[in-house]
Amino acid sequence: MPTRARAAFSLFVAALAAYAVVSAWSWPSKAGLFPLVMGTALLALALVQFVLDLRSKAEAAQGAAAMELAPSAEVAPELARRRTVATFAWMAAFVVLVFLVGFSLAVPLFMFSYLMLQSSAGAWRSLALTAAAWGFFYGLFERLLRLPFGAGMIQTWLGL
Amino acid sequence: MLEALFDGLGLILQWKAFSLMLVGMGIGFVIGLLPGIGGATTLALMLPFVFKMTPVEAFAFLLGMHSVAATTGDITSILFGVPGEGLSAATVVDGHPMAKRGEAARALGAALMSSLVGAVIGAATLAVSIPIVRPLVLTFGSPELFMITLIGIACITSLSGLGARAQIKGFAMGFLGLLLATIGQERQSGTLRFDFGLIYLWEGLDLIPVLVGIFAIPEIIDLAKRGTAIAGDRPAAVKLGAGVWEGIKDTFRHFWLVVRCSAVGVLVGILPGAGGGVAQWMAYAHAVQSAKDAKDREGFGKGDVRGVLGPGSANNSKEGGDLIPTIAFGVPGSGAMAILLGAFMIMGLMPGPDMLTKHLAVTYSMVWTLVIANVITVVLCLATLGHLAKLTRIRGNLILPFMLLLVFVGSYTANRQIADLLVTLAFGALGYVMVRLDWPRAPLVLGFVLGKLAETYLFISMARYGFSWLTQPLVLVLIALTVLVVAYPYIQERRHGVPRKVHAD
Repeated sequence: MPTRARAAFSLFVAALAAYAVVSAWSWPSKAGLFPLVMGTALLALALVQFVLDLRSKAEAAQGAAAMELAPSAEVAPELARRRTVATFAWMAAFVVLVFLVGFSLAVPLFMFSYLMLQSSAGAWRSLALTAAAWGFFYGLFERLLRLPFGAGMIQTWLGL
Repeated sequence: MLEALFDGLGLILQWKAFSLMLVGMGIGFVIGLLPGIGGATTLALMLPFVFKMTPVEAFAFLLGMHSVAATTGDITSILFGVPGEGLSAATVVDGHPMAKRGEAARALGAALMSSLVGAVIGAATLAVSIPIVRPLVLTFGSPELFMITLIGIACITSLSGLGARAQIKGFAMGFLGLLLATIGQERQSGTLRFDFGLIYLWEGLDLIPVLVGIFAIPEIIDLAKRGTAIAGDRPAAVKLGAGVWEGIKDTFRHFWLVVRCSAVGVLVGILPGAGGGVAQWMAYAHAVQSAKDAKDREGFGKGDVRGVLGPGSANNSKEGGDLIPTIAFGVPGSGAMAILLGAFMIMGLMPGPDMLTKHLAVTYSMVWTLVIANVITVVLCLATLGHLAKLTRIRGNLILPFMLLLVFVGSYTANRQIADLLVTLAFGALGYVMVRLDWPRAPLVLGFVLGKLAETYLFISMARYGFSWLTQPLVLVLIALTVLVVAYPYIQERRHGVPRKVHAD
């Protein structure tokens, strides 16, 4: 990742901390003390990190956090970017689908569409896997736990 | 006492109690695989079913379910990087990288065997400590509990990686986690903090959407990016199931680490309010600290089996610890235990001295439930681990939609609010950026888990004692322990003569 991106994230964290500190000033001391102290410490550390990011080269910053998931580097950057955007788009689409039609319909719709369009799994395989996923969630939540999913916005509008 | 111990075993082995325990275990197994509906929620949902049961049957059913959920939560954490329970997030850090390396079976074997050892240690502690634990629990007031949360926060040094830069980032994320925990209505004054006018935020952010988003979504993105199976494109000659015994042997190779982490779990379990979310991270931090030197420590976060053994054992041992104050004083150590307390009332039992005298056999039947349920689960799981590990060979594109369902359905069931899905998505994006930019996620989660507790205990300590609580003897000991936890990695590096500039930039 370029130095600019690193510095931008540090600055973003510093901005969050600054917002927290400013907000905490206006609260009664009981409510404000803890976020004020935490926010100030975070602000100081984020600013130090921001300066360090600006001063050091990206290569030097690599490996600073040793205990983390190492993102895959074997895929071409352009392809990796495309796949990342596509996955985020699918996730966002699922959330929108749940909002519109509720979980009970969103789960099979999402599963089938994803398996057909993204996984190229073929119609029968997609149908079988969709049925399995839906059966599992329906059986567990609606039957066993008796936790029915809420209706979506469309069903509510239609009064269903 | 010995007689009561065997009476307890006899009670749990009666066919009806045993069958109900098996039913509870079956439910707990499935629940444990799913993020969101944790053991506490399931206990609450199953409470109405115990009305017609005897006390032994009811506790066999409920505890069988609860203890198994803690064990199986590790399975999804390791295989998919999706924490199956809020309590099994720490297992993701090293367990999932092992799965990606083709060592899923070894990681699962290690997680399950360490869980079993942890559960047995927790149950044994419960069995022997009930009569003697009273002074310990009563010694811990708010100042001491605040210091315990500080020790937890101090574990950030061990969760942040090596070097000064990593420590800055680690502590920054820890403070961000503590800050995120302050979102919502402040309990003492009722002030709304960082609510942005949204009613959803009045209750604060729920742990599950945060946890699942920050850990699982970056893994899902990474899998989608690679376009391979979770275990990569390894040749078929590499047998994925072959590592089960290796994982079991790992538990005994690092047996003292497992015992120490189990002790951490028991201790955190005994203390009211701290719960498994804290125990797993403290145990993980302890596992990291147990590394001999900086080089030995480098493998953590990249698939070191000790990073699986530590949280695995603490998760289960804390169940026994949790039960101690619940049974002995009616003081629940966690949300799940508070619900279990409801079961005591339904059964007409009063936690306290009666449970140690009149109903001692019932108390010991709980101990046996913890042990037997875990033994059966681990044996069954070990028998099927080879097949479970094969899931990491399935084409990524086929497994991805299932992982996404796990993530979002799990997040939703925590509170049944659409906004939880947005929180999951937002924290997923944050987690992804953090991974890309080498910011550690574990300290943020630890800060978030501990934030509310720390603030509450600090407030009570200040209101009750002013600043004088800082001079209490036990507090001073705990302050020294906090300093030691922070300094330990540095002392260790110095002792082993590893020059810091190798790791710091």
